[in-house]
Amino acid sequence: MKKFFALLKVSVKSMLLSSTNSQGGSRKRAATGVGAMVLIAFLGLYMSGFYSSMLMHALAPVHMEVLVFIFMGMGALVGGLLFTAFAVKGVVFGGKDNDLLLSMPVSSTMLMASRVSAIYLENLLFALFVLAPAGAVCTFMTQSGVGHSVLFWVRLAVAVFTLPLLDTALSVLMGALVAFLSARVTRGVLGQNIVMAVYMAAVFWFAFNVNGMIEGLAANAAGVKESLSWAAPMLWMADGIMGDWGLLLAFAACCIVPFALVVFGLGRVYRQAVTAFAARSARNDYKLSAQSASGQKKALLAKEAKRFFGTPMYFWNAGIGLIMLVAMGAAALVMQNDLREFIGLLGGALPVMPMAALAMGFCLCTSAVAAPSISLEGKYLWILREAPVDERSLLWIKTGFELLLSLPCTVIGGVCLIIALQLTAPEGALLIFSMALFAGCHAAFGMLMGLTFPKLDAVNETVVVKQSLAVMLDMFVPMGVLGLCALLYWLGGRMAPALALALPLALLAVFTGVCVLILVKKGPAMLKAL
Amino acid sequence: MLRIEHYSKTYPGGKKAVDDLTLHVRPGEIYGFIGHNGAGKTTTLRAVAGVMDFTEGTITIDGHDVKKDPVGAKRVTAFLPDNPDLYEFMKGIDYLNFIADLYDIPAEQRTKDIAKYGDAFELTGNLGSPIGSYSHGMRQKLALISAFIRRPRLLILDEPFVGLDPSASHIMKGYLADLCRGGSAVFFSTHVLEVAEKLCHQIAIIKDGRLVKCGPTDELVGDSSLEDVFLELEGDK
Repeated sequence: MKKFFALLKVSVKSMLLSSTNSQGGSRKRAATGVGAMVLIAFLGLYMSGFYSSMLMHALAPVHMEVLVFIFMGMGALVGGLLFTAFAVKGVVFGGKDNDLLLSMPVSSTMLMASRVSAIYLENLLFALFVLAPAGAVCTFMTQSGVGHSVLFWVRLAVAVFTLPLLDTALSVLMGALVAFLSARVTRGVLGQNIVMAVYMAAVFWFAFNVNGMIEGLAANAAGVKESLSWAAPMLWMADGIMGDWGLLLAFAACCIVPFALVVFGLGRVYRQAVTAFAARSARNDYKLSAQSASGQKKALLAKEAKRFFGTPMYFWNAGIGLIMLVAMGAAALVMQNDLREFIGLLGGALPVMPMAALAMGFCLCTSAVAAPSISLEGKYLWILREAPVDERSLLWIKTGFELLLSLPCTVIGGVCLIIALQLTAPEGALLIFSMALFAGCHAAFGMLMGLTFPKLDAVNETVVVKQSLAVMLDMFVPMGVLGLCALLYWLGGRMAPALALALPLALLAVFTGVCVLILVKKGPAMLKAL
Repeated sequence: MLRIEHYSKTYPGGKKAVDDLTLHVRPGEIYGFIGHNGAGKTTTLRAVAGVMDFTEGTITIDGHDVKKDPVGAKRVTAFLPDNPDLYEFMKGIDYLNFIADLYDIPAEQRTKDIAKYGDAFELTGNLGSPIGSYSHGMRQKLALISAFIRRPRLLILDEPFVGLDPSASHIMKGYLADLCRGGSAVFFSTHVLEVAEKLCHQIAIIKDGRLVKCGPTDELVGDSSLEDVFLELEGDK
């Protein structure tokens, strides 16, 4: 067991350090790591609390609180799967220290178990963030008083600790499939993109239909529960949390058995699996033809584009906001009559153009393309340093690449919203201008965060794109700026109508100006110092 | 071609990796740089290549000061680190074109040179595959081809023979000689003393960051071997 815990310590430490920057002292690294964890925890708790209370509000009156735990359990399972399935390919099967650790005198099952346990801990955190708020909501919003018993929390804790076992088992199997496809299929990237597109479409569909579903749920809650018999373990978990110890034990067995089978089954063939997934043989049938030349800037931009579109992890995490932006515009056009009817019902209670700007700004915030681009260079940074290109050009190309993606999406999404919401020409122009300014500010700020909190020693791109502090800050600080803009709009509106728009615009202009100025003055030196 | 004058490099924390190094590499010369592990060879090569900043001294390549005119210096230089990590999301041919674009190499010239060096290193057939599928040796060969197609005035190599098969090593030595006949220079580090003795016109030996001996290979070695001279200077014999 001593060896197992030593291996687990290495895996967990590497996971915890993944969100810290690779520069600076241990205190700074620890602080940035804790900061990133707090941000994730806050977001997870908030989102889970919001949906749990919405569900509980509809279901508590018909005494079907159990459905809240079924849906939140499913949410934790699917969310955890999304978080870790693609990470498994890098962490469990593609770790850079695989050769080193496989050469050590430890069994491959133990090595596999230590790697899988690190994934389990990540899923455990996610399950905790999703199920704990559901428990709190159940405690405060039900009349049955079930949540007031200590045993309720014990049963919830059992669910929180066992659900991630099932999640981890499924993640490892999916990750093994992804690793196998990546190694064997010529168009592996395309396959991964299709899987992610299907998943995202399902998430969007769920998000757009969740309100209607909740209304329907309250009307036919018992029928819905019966129709979920295909997800029996989730029903057992929910009934178990609500008081049925037998079903809770059955659920625990449903989680522990697959986990054990995966660990011991795949553990026995871990060495063979790692070898097979790593063995990509180069073809030798290439025929050289006349090559064409292009300029330095075009080559560097093409390289950024190849990395962005050729790395599913990067594309789907950094590009999702831009996809949402265009999808939102298209959806607004398709449902423009419903939208106008809804706005009419509000009777001018909400300002339409600023609300559209907020929605667009939120989408732009979630598109951290420039922020991880420095860390993604990692071990390849020597190529750019050796090249006859000055640091300033490199920074502008990376920042410019985000703008090349975000500005067209901003214009397309914005024009769709202008048409759908029937905004006047000045309002429309203002919407596009302010969001283009915000896109510029987001790109420049992201670049600065990438330079300030680099993660050049990351073991894989998942760590950089999903967990790095630079990406977190690039998402949440601009969201804070949007919130400040909303506050200034409200304050300005109380003083003079013109100020309502002028103040947020001035804030955006100042923030963009400051980011660009720092990037111009300090950026090249910061890049050189990495 | 390369002038290193009183170059020193101190790492954060105060450790002096290289101390007051001065050496000159003339056009047409192959200059070997040898020393024990941690002596400061890689630190020096990386500073010359403009990959790493340094604290004191000046380094000029073909008249371009590495600090004052880094882009000009890099334009006439090619650097190959000891373990070249290349973009795994690119195909071999994409990487060569990427490098060629950065160095403004005309289409006709790059096609000709890629064919020449690709065939010589037996890599042309693999250029259509992603670099992620390459073996260590294939990556080394690709990095070498990317260096040769630049037709550099100064070629800087860090342990270039590691990972290369004997045939590729032989071909590389031939191309290094060709490069020098064309008026360029080669500055490389190695632990393979026999190769250094046969290949280099000049040799410098560095110990604990300080230059302990340098000069023409014949004069430096004299009647003994480079191995004997090296071990004697290192104090191991």
